[in-house]
This record gives sequence, C-alpha cells and structure tokens, in this order.
Amino acid sequence: MIITLAWRNIWRNKMRSLVIIASVTAGLFAGIAILALYKGMMKSRIRTVIDTETGHLQVHAIGFTADQDPSLFISHQEDITRSLSTNQNIEAYTTRTITAGMVSTPSGSAGVSIMGIDPAEESRVSGLSKKMREGKMQWAGQTKGILIGKKLAKKLKLALGEKLVITMTDTADNLIAAAYRIQGIYQSANAPLDEVNVYVSKKDLQEMLGLQKQVHEIAIKLKKDEGLEEQLLQLQHAYPTASIESWKTLSPETSMMAGTVDTLSYIILIIILIALSFGIMNTMMMSILERRHEIGMMMALGMNRIKLLMLIMTETFLLTITGIPIAMLIGRIAANHYEKKGMDLSGMGRDMMESFGFETMIYPSYPADKMGFIILLVFCTALVSSILPIIKSLRMDPVSALQK
Amino acid sequence: METTVIDAHNISKTYDPTGIPVVAIRNVHMHIAKGEFVALVGPSGSGKTTLLNMIGGLDHPDSGQIIVNGTDITTLTQKGLVKFRLHNIGFVFQSFNLIPVLTAKENAEFIMLLQKEKKAKRDERIDLLFNQVGLMGKKNIRPAQLSGGQQQRVAVVRALASKPQFVLADEPTANLDSASAFNLLDMMAKLNKEENMTFVFSTHDQRVIERARRVITLVDGQIVSDQQ
Repeated sequence: MIITLAWRNIWRNKMRSLVIIASVTAGLFAGIAILALYKGMMKSRIRTVIDTETGHLQVHAIGFTADQDPSLFISHQEDITRSLSTNQNIEAYTTRTITAGMVSTPSGSAGVSIMGIDPAEESRVSGLSKKMREGKMQWAGQTKGILIGKKLAKKLKLALGEKLVITMTDTADNLIAAAYRIQGIYQSANAPLDEVNVYVSKKDLQEMLGLQKQVHEIAIKLKKDEGLEEQLLQLQHAYPTASIESWKTLSPETSMMAGTVDTLSYIILIIILIALSFGIMNTMMMSILERRHEIGMMMALGMNRIKLLMLIMTETFLLTITGIPIAMLIGRIAANHYEKKGMDLSGMGRDMMESFGFETMIYPSYPADKMGFIILLVFCTALVSSILPIIKSLRMDPVSALQK
Repeated sequence: METTVIDAHNISKTYDPTGIPVVAIRNVHMHIAKGEFVALVGPSGSGKTTLLNMIGGLDHPDSGQIIVNGTDITTLTQKGLVKFRLHNIGFVFQSFNLIPVLTAKENAEFIMLLQKEKKAKRDERIDLLFNQVGLMGKKNIRPAQLSGGQQQRVAVVRALASKPQFVLADEPTANLDSASAFNLLDMMAKLNKEENMTFVFSTHDQRVIERARRVITLVDGQIVSDQQ
C-alpha cells in the first residue's frame, strides 16, 4: 500500500515531479559523463605511459634511477635479455644506455636525458618511429645523429639538420662533449618528456661513455596488462640484485592521478547531488504542505508515525531514483558513441593537456564499475532529502491539520 | 443487557490560543450504549467537534475520564491512542477526506490495510458494504469522479469496514445537497440497524436531528438537554 500510495502521490503534480526527475536525470548524467570522460582520459594516459614512455616493466641497476650515474649499468644484462627472449608473456623489450647531459646551441642550453637506443628495438617497445614529426629515425652521415623532442627544438630554436653540442661525463668522470646533427624531431603526448629526452645511437653513446655493450635500462612490454604484477614478482625473484619496477612506480604521478581523478569525479558528483537534494526537499515540503489536511486525516484514522515516515521516505526515494535508469541509459548510449568516435578536446587547451601528458583525443569509457557507488550516492541523497519533510509531517497534530 | 460503548465522566477542556482562556467543554457527563444513533447538536462554538475529538482520542481533556469499551483513553500515550483509534473508532469527516489518488475501493479498505487484514477478508467486507450502500459499480473509480454524496458514502464504508466499536461523524451532511443528505442518513440508519453499529454525529442540520434516535444538545460546552 505504501509504495502504491507513494508512487501515485508523486504524480499528483506531474509537472513538478517531472521537473525534479529531469533534474536528477540531468545531474546524474553529468556525473556519469564526467566519470566516463575521466576514465577515458586515464585509460589513455596509462596507455601512453605503457606504450610510449616506460613500457610495463623496467630493469635498472640499483641506484641508477636516482642520479643516472653511467657507471651503474645492469650487471646481468645478457642473462636477463636471454630469459626475456624466451618468456611467452613478453611482447618486446629494448635495452638503453642512458646518461644525463647538457645540450648547448648558440641560442641556449638545456639539461637532457640522453638515451642510447637501437631504433628497431626501441620502436617495438615505445613506438618512437610513430612519433616522428620531421626527419627519420635512423643514424646516417658523418656527424652523429640525434632525435630531439618538438618542445626542446622550440625552446632552443632548433630545426632539422642543425647541429648541437652535448656535454656529459663518462664512467671515469671525465667531462666529454660531442657535436650532433638533428636527424629527427619527434612529438609525443607528454610535452615535458619531449623537452628532456633526446635519442642517439646506443653504440655511439656506449663508446663515448667508455662502456662495452653495457646498458642502463631494459624496458619490457608485456602481451597483456593483466599479468603485470605476476611478471614483476617473477623478475624480482629471479634477479634480486637488479631494480625491477612496474610503470606504477616508474610513473608515480600517473598512478596517483588515476586514484585522484576517481576521487575528484566523486566530489563533483556529490556536489551535483547536494544541489539536487535541495530541489527534491523543496518539492517534498510543498507536497506535504499541500496534503496537510489529508495527512492529518490519515493520522486520525490510525496511521502510525512509522507508516507515515515510510510513506514520505518512499515518495522521496521514488522521486529521486526514477531518474537513475534514464540517466544510466543515456550515459551508456553517449559513452558508447564517443568511445568509438572519440572526443577531440584539442580546442579546450591542447598545450595544457599535453603538459600533463594527456592525449587530446579522448575515448570516454562508461564507468560500469562505479555504478554501484553512484546508486548508493543517489540513495543517500534521497535519504538526506527526506529528513526535513519527514520531520515536518511527523510534527503534525491531526486535530489542527484537519481544521481548514 | 445494554452494553456501554462510551462513558465520559466530568470532562472539561479549555483552549488558550491567544492568552484568553476559552472554555470549550465544561464538566460533561455522557453515556452512550451499543447500537445508539446519537446526534450532538448545538450552535457553532458550542463544543460539538471538541467533544467528538476527545471521544475519538484525537484530543485530550484537561480533566475527567473517557472510557471507551472499558479502556480509559485519557491515560493512553500518543502511540497508544493511534492504535486505539485504528482498532476501535471509525471516522466520517465533513469534507469526506478521501485520498484522491486511491480508488473508492482502495479508500474503503485503507483502515483494514493499516490493520494488516488479509486480502480475501478485505474484499469480502468491502463488497458487502459497497452492496449495502449501492456503490458496487463505482468501486474502481477515483473520488474526483464521484458525486459528493457518493464520496461521503465511500467515507462511511471506510469507517465501517474495520468493524469499529462506534463511528464518529463530524457534520457528515454539511457539504451535501438535500437528496444526497437523505440518502446518506437512510444508509447510515440502515447500517445502524443491520450491523448494530453505534453512530455519534455532531450536527446542526435539522435533517440529521430528525433522524436521530437520541439528541444531545450542547450550549457553551455544557449539555443542556439529552432527549431520546
């Protein structure tokens, strides 16, 4: 009886109830859209980190990542690479020789991370060849070749074919310098990395640093994201003298961002729902004041306070939750559409997004895993919105309510 | 042997809404037996509705005792009064007070639903009463589609459906035309006979007074006459 009566009561004033249901639907849809957008952005960001920056896993000598000391190379490099070559879960790996240095040109200088790479190996792990905007990813000619990021090129006013000088220290702590010709300019989705990472021939860099075939980094790309923790533990167990880390620790800002973005979207959703709760509360208060006489009559006939409380609460819940399936459906349709088509956000601040390492083309993803929590939040909204109307109705005295 | 349904002893009630005390009921003694058809009459402000509210457990007297079917309702808590009203008293209001979003049948079975009566029992009782009041064909119609007289008949069915100890009706014919009022009174008289149901009306409608078998007249909160 309570549910039937509550459902019919909310349709007494159709327009008023429809406005509230539409507001809840719009608010929830906005919340779902934000969650879908953020989820898409984070998926894209994580994909960028794995596919173009760190790979799934990286191996270093212990202490190397702290100050990039070239003498801290990986000691069991051949054992590790042999084992990786036969591992069925690994799609590709690449070895890198790395050191810190300074790029100098007539117009300025900048601190950089010099990555000695093998172009073919590198492309399989980081897809560097796909990021080339100008020139080619190969070392040719008399002068040593270098690939630099678009941001660094802009900062130092460098163009393809121009020369620059790199200064670094070798493994014996001697200061060395070499001239390089720009053979390619790349651009990734992460502008800050484009400003600091420069790529040269691994063989050349090893010679300059006084290394044989030693490398400082092995970047590994797995066939599936799901086996990450298992592979990490397996490698850490097999090579306890090396530092083996996953992208989550190599790119802590991305991992932290993934958690923060969820919290942020929940905060936005809660703010939307708080605003809606005032509308719901107001509608319910008006409805109760209009039915004062009727509520007094029901109390006179013997409806107890618990049943009255249940009636008002059910009305508030029905008014609030009716919008949930509609918002979920619209959210699903919209998310599916944009998941395929993508949303180009370049018009909303390409530089800002790139500076945070985000692609400007986002593929929103329906946050199905968060729907339970969203529904819980809506129920809480209904509960909070019903408090004042319940207090108002329970305080009614049947005798005075029955008097016109 | 005559069974007492309502026994009011020396009840008084004073209102003080504006700081000036107004005596609504003054030392009233009243005794109503099972199956009586009683009209409480008197001019406006004589205390009819106040007395009815106190007998119905909606209002508390300042002093005195009201014993309904052996229970002193002046000692009951608010919660106890709600339960008491639900199981012992049927109410008929001046402005019908049907719930507009429920059908005539749903309105009629409202109290039985609150009492958690089984559907079969509810259906049987409601059908019987709707037959008696001649509204069988209007069961599934909402109040807005019924005439005033029909709405008041549904209200009477609602009051009687749960077989209360007695029915209190506050000006039941005040909003009805003559024909509807006579129909309603005939119907209530019939139910009074057939169900041996006790009816207590507050009214100043001469048509109701003429049909009543006992007329209690109130003036300034005091009973000035009690005629069979």
